[in-house]
Amino acid sequence: MTGTVAEHDARIAEQIEGTFAPLFALVEGWRTAVQEEFSAFAVQGVAPTAAALDPRMEALARPALEAPGGLVTGAGFVATPGVLLDAPWHLAWWLREIHGLDRGDRGGVRRLEAVNDPDSDQFRDYRQLEWWKVPERTGERHVTGPYVDYLCTDDYTVTVTTPATHDGRMVGVVGIDVHVSRLERVVLPILREVAGTGTVVNGSGRIVASSDSHRVTGTLLRGADVQSALTALRDGAERGEGAEGTRALRCGDSSFLLLLQS
Amino acid sequence: MAQVSAGVDPARSAVFAPLSDIGRAEIVERRLQDAITSGVLHDGERLPSESQLGRRFGVAVVTAREALEALRDAGLIETRRGRDGGSFVTFDSDTARRFTDERIRALSRVELRDASMHYSAIAGMAAELAADRAGEDDVQGLRELEEQEDLATAGGARRAVARFQLEVAALSQSPRLVREELRLQAEIGTLIWLGLREEDNRIRSRAARQAELDAIGAADTEAARAIAVRRIAGGVEWLLDEKSRLEAAAETDTASRA
Repeated sequence: MTGTVAEHDARIAEQIEGTFAPLFALVEGWRTAVQEEFSAFAVQGVAPTAAALDPRMEALARPALEAPGGLVTGAGFVATPGVLLDAPWHLAWWLREIHGLDRGDRGGVRRLEAVNDPDSDQFRDYRQLEWWKVPERTGERHVTGPYVDYLCTDDYTVTVTTPATHDGRMVGVVGIDVHVSRLERVVLPILREVAGTGTVVNGSGRIVASSDSHRVTGTLLRGADVQSALTALRDGAERGEGAEGTRALRCGDSSFLLLLQS
Repeated sequence: MAQVSAGVDPARSAVFAPLSDIGRAEIVERRLQDAITSGVLHDGERLPSESQLGRRFGVAVVTAREALEALRDAGLIETRRGRDGGSFVTFDSDTARRFTDERIRALSRVELRDASMHYSAIAGMAAELAADRAGEDDVQGLRELEEQEDLATAGGARRAVARFQLEVAALSQSPRLVREELRLQAEIGTLIWLGLREEDNRIRSRAARQAELDAIGAADTEAARAIAVRRIAGGVEWLLDEKSRLEAAAETDTASRA
């Protein structure tokens, strides 16, 4: 190992952040594209429609969903109710077709069948869901999960959403889903570089992946030492440290945190 | 003697067990029939089209059509032609009651208890894991959801329970438990929660859900599991009593006619 422990820790956190950076860039690009579409509607003096927007969004989403073995398992645009002339409630979301126990590619993309009729029992007001609610409130990108996405694929998922705006008003969110099983494949090799135990958790302390196979993904990482390290980060410190030596770092602005224990 | 020891390798038998693709129209029919008679689908509600139903259930369009025809013959839906046409639920409480009563009588006690054990295994484990894994925000979110529920009608109470079961399963962080919960809800949920048509049961059911939420919030895994299992057992016991009552009534009926 070269450099100090702190430097090594920071490099690991950077690599974790690097896993998410391309995904965030993708979503940012789509946000710009969707906003440009809305501006174009305004310039032409026509009302925005799902019919015009959907093919555009599909063309953006498909390459990410078709990339063999890619991280992105779902992608699309969800409209603010009432913004589109031809669809009061609208989810334009596409899914990678997944196969079998190893959750591998099946080699296809399908559109999500959403229930858009508010009178139906299966209808769910998506404005109540975290991936909508948080970006709406903060105006910023948000990472939801890991959670069981039972509206969509019934898979264990992380969802990244960011608001698209027009004339200062949110017209919807664009976003991507990543199955945790795929994320694990990318994150574990990085965590194995850690001397000791490396664990990636979300902002609530829920485990995404850990170099210790006995730390179960989806459980909350407990313990006073972990909590004090996490609290220090939440209070704005660069690094959190527990009394028993747990180190906590932010993985850039990915919202994920890295916990290191010897 | 245990069946397993009689020269049968259960693992091998499972490999070649027949896939259930027979009677798919009946399964679709049963699902919709249960939803209509229990009030989950409302009177006058338009059902999805044949092709939409086919896609949603993952069956052929002809299979969906066959199921709709059977429901039409039974008087549970009507089909209107034209621009605003389609199949609409016709909820007539007498017909619905007659259907439900027949369904309860047709089920054997053994079958019902077995289904109840299966559901308890899934929902109990989900509640136990949820208590271990739920954060404070999750529990708060569920409490708010509970407060919004409309418990004035049987259908409303049934939807409240279905949603609660699903949310708790999701808190277990296990996609498989969520999928199994959804499958079991579709298969036997309507029957197990039928007791919700009585107001007393609706009040009791809500109190039990709140107790389960308290246990989940307190990370008390054992209590959460126990309450989940007890809620299901309560539903099944009501159903068994109702079945006995219906059978006794039918016997009296036959006797008085003889």
